[in-house]
Amino acid sequence: MVQSKKQRYLFLAFCLVPTFLMFALFTLYPLFNGLYYSFFQWSGSSSLAEFTGFDNYRKLFSDEIIPATIWHDYFLVITKIIGIMILATFFAVALTQMRIKEAPFYRIVFFFPNIMSVVVIGILWMFIYNPSLGLVNSGLEFLGLGEWTKAWLGDEDWALPSLVLPSVWAGIGLFMLMLMGGISNISKSYYEAAEIDGANGWQQFWKITLPLVWPQIKISILYIIITTLNGSFIIVQVMTKGGPNNATHVMGSYLYEEAFVKYNFGYGATIGVMILVLSLITVLIMQYFMRREKVEY
Amino acid sequence: MKRKQGFWTKIGVRIPLVLWSLAVLYPILWMILGAFKSNAEIYANPWGLPDSFSFGNFIDAWSNYNIDISVFNSLIVTGLGALLTLVMAIPTAYALERLRFRGNRLLFTLYISAMMIPMVLGWIPLFFLLMQLNLLDNIFGLAIVYAVSQLPFSIFVLTSFMATIPKSLEEAAAIDGMSPYKILWKIITPLSMTGIITVTIMNMIQFWNEYFMALIFLQSENNYTLALAIDYISNETQYTNSWGTLFASLVIAIVPVIILYAIFQRRIVKGMTEGAIKG
Repeated sequence: MVQSKKQRYLFLAFCLVPTFLMFALFTLYPLFNGLYYSFFQWSGSSSLAEFTGFDNYRKLFSDEIIPATIWHDYFLVITKIIGIMILATFFAVALTQMRIKEAPFYRIVFFFPNIMSVVVIGILWMFIYNPSLGLVNSGLEFLGLGEWTKAWLGDEDWALPSLVLPSVWAGIGLFMLMLMGGISNISKSYYEAAEIDGANGWQQFWKITLPLVWPQIKISILYIIITTLNGSFIIVQVMTKGGPNNATHVMGSYLYEEAFVKYNFGYGATIGVMILVLSLITVLIMQYFMRREKVEY
Repeated sequence: MKRKQGFWTKIGVRIPLVLWSLAVLYPILWMILGAFKSNAEIYANPWGLPDSFSFGNFIDAWSNYNIDISVFNSLIVTGLGALLTLVMAIPTAYALERLRFRGNRLLFTLYISAMMIPMVLGWIPLFFLLMQLNLLDNIFGLAIVYAVSQLPFSIFVLTSFMATIPKSLEEAAAIDGMSPYKILWKIITPLSMTGIITVTIMNMIQFWNEYFMALIFLQSENNYTLALAIDYISNETQYTNSWGTLFASLVIAIVPVIILYAIFQRRIVKGMTEGAIKG
């Protein structure tokens, strides 16, 4: 190597410094600055930012909408975990262990919604829920359940649950594939042994498949938590904008409204800090509860 | 493994699979068909086949709703964003994977953990930062923001690809007197092309689909990306009821993604599952 120390450092700097500066400027600085803004009363113009200490946090704790937004977020987290994990696990087991000829077809189809834009998904589902034209109400009428039809997204009780279905619809494929990756790594000999011992399919699922794909299940659940707490507001913004009467506001959509619609940037930043703190706490707690000795047979 | 699976078990398993396939395909297919229907037809027969295929909705969306401008904006943001990501991610990924220096692990961890941090908090200061840099309501500013937002994912995937390149190639090139810059450009970059392509496709789909940052950082209609233009049309549709135009614009948004998926299905699936598993 005919390279002086100086040249080596120069190359290292060439590789790392420009990228890191961009990362620092557009990712690290805004995050820390957001924390800083949360202590200000501020409507945008820099001269009028007023340091108010913990006032925004006091407001946060007395704001009546905040607990509702938190509840809405966790409602989506819980229902999405249940819906996605049950269906994804079922599909993953079916496609890896049942030797179904057309399995690749299902894999390709189920995954596709994962790469659709949330805007497209949201609008598509707005039409599916459309009170007069939509598939849901037409379907109910077709089944003779006409009295069940309603304006799904306009109904305070039903708007939030109605958002779960599009999220599950769009999310299944990715998690199914993650689980399929785990299942196909399980050695066939375990199943053969279980077969000889007379274990039926159901027992094999509980005693072999589930414990051995636990790492993938754990990652999937954590991933659903993170992406929901950091991204549920996108589908909310597209489909309901937080309405009707705040019935679907989640933390992120409330932040957007406070900061970018009402120009309460300081308070918006405070909500942002809350989202950050809650996501980290939730992930840590879930990691603790889902820790399990690695299973090896 | 010889597992006896009765005929009926297989049928029983297939029923949910077929139902879910229908649940996925039918709305998408129907959206595509709806784009070719007239408004009257959509009202009369929302879920059936169109009488005749007309491109009126596409023409309406293209010329009356300025979809042409937003398609152009989306193409610029997507292309430029993906290119910028590569320019920033390739050298850093190489340095993190191959060069030994103090703080290597720390820097890698910093980039990776940024994937798990909710960026919503950062968007408020970012809004004002872009304003100060004169990059607010500017598609180039948005492209930069996009590129940086996908840096952690891109660095993560690229380092794991570069780890598979044998070190002997670089060593041989260095002995022959090749400069490290040339090694990076002439040896590492071509050899990690698989990873580069995977990352680029993922990033392009991400940028093409992105909605919320565009909503915050763009304001004038002339700068709207496709996602914003569609959202705008969707809000208008509540009053105009021109569903056909809305569907046509949705189809315009989804066709490039379908094409990419048809060509690169395996890479996209691999990229996304690996990106998630890093956790």
